[in-house]
Amino acid sequence: MFRRAQRLRDEGRYRRAAGIVDEALLHDPRNVVGHLLAGSLHMVLRETGQARISFERALALEPTQPRALLGLARVELEDGKTAACCALLNRALAQYPDFPEARALLEVARDLPATAHAKRDATSIGAVQADRLRLPAESREAVFMRADATVVVAEPHGQATDAVATRAVKLARVATAMLARAGLGPLRHAVIEGAAETTYLRTDDAALLTLSFDRDVSTATALKHLEQVWRRCRSELA
Amino acid sequence: MSTAAVARPVDGRDLRAVLADLLELEHIIGGLVVAPDGLVIAANLPREVEAEPLSALAAALGRELELRGPRLRRGTFPTAEFASVSGSAFLGSTPVGYIVLLGEPRANWEAVRSGLRRAVGTVYRAWAG
Repeated sequence: MFRRAQRLRDEGRYRRAAGIVDEALLHDPRNVVGHLLAGSLHMVLRETGQARISFERALALEPTQPRALLGLARVELEDGKTAACCALLNRALAQYPDFPEARALLEVARDLPATAHAKRDATSIGAVQADRLRLPAESREAVFMRADATVVVAEPHGQATDAVATRAVKLARVATAMLARAGLGPLRHAVIEGAAETTYLRTDDAALLTLSFDRDVSTATALKHLEQVWRRCRSELA
Repeated sequence: MSTAAVARPVDGRDLRAVLADLLELEHIIGGLVVAPDGLVIAANLPREVEAEPLSALAAALGRELELRGPRLRRGTFPTAEFASVSGSAFLGSTPVGYIVLLGEPRANWEAVRSGLRRAVGTVYRAWAG
């Protein structure tokens, strides 16, 4: 049944494959390959909570199973639990030093900020600085932060701003690592389309700026604004 | 090599064909399709680029964008560009995984985005059932 599920997975019939694996595991609950396949299918189906359970079951049966360690590390990374992610990847690499996926993820995870930082109260300085940055009228949100996700200025500033900064830094670091693996050098800027708006990101090794615009603002205009605000932000930071 | 080449229809279930079609875009030097669990579905990369670490990071990046994006807005992202001085990586999100294209600095974001959107739509339609 697991072979059949694997074949269905290869054909892209993920939901059907997951059903067959679940059924097979009822009869053979100590099958490590089955739990691994279930974890992988849940990840593909974006069911992270169930993927976690499957990988944990695989590791309970085989504590050094490399794919289960990698799978669970991915879940921890998604959940922002970087220390747990690193511990799992280190466990995998201790057993299997030649494990390129684990090494690539560890390089990113070990430098990520663990939680939202609140080293500086941006609300008390935000209003003045946002004014000095002369944000474009079309901009819906702007956050300028240091490389460690400490918010320097945010407009508007809210309860979620620190979490937004942490997420943006995480995104930039994963992207930088991916670009490096592709031989393309560190991230300079990003354009991320969303359902209702597009987010533009500018960064260097010391700071990061995100600006969001409605989707009807042209890319050329938004990038021009991004560069202008970035220069003012960097000069404020200096 | 031209953007016009991408206009011919491809089977959205054949992700290798979808990728091959996108590689016809001007100044695109390679790409891959990776499942959200990091498994490579199709790859055509420059010789010096290893597929496994790139796919691991692309899947992590794709998931991060899907889950929260920089503004913590939950939902899918159609396309994204990550640019360095030496080139760009372009991402497209589909139900079966992420399409990643690597481009030279001269690669045009609007042209690549248009091609990626078309490919993402083709994959969505093919895999919807």
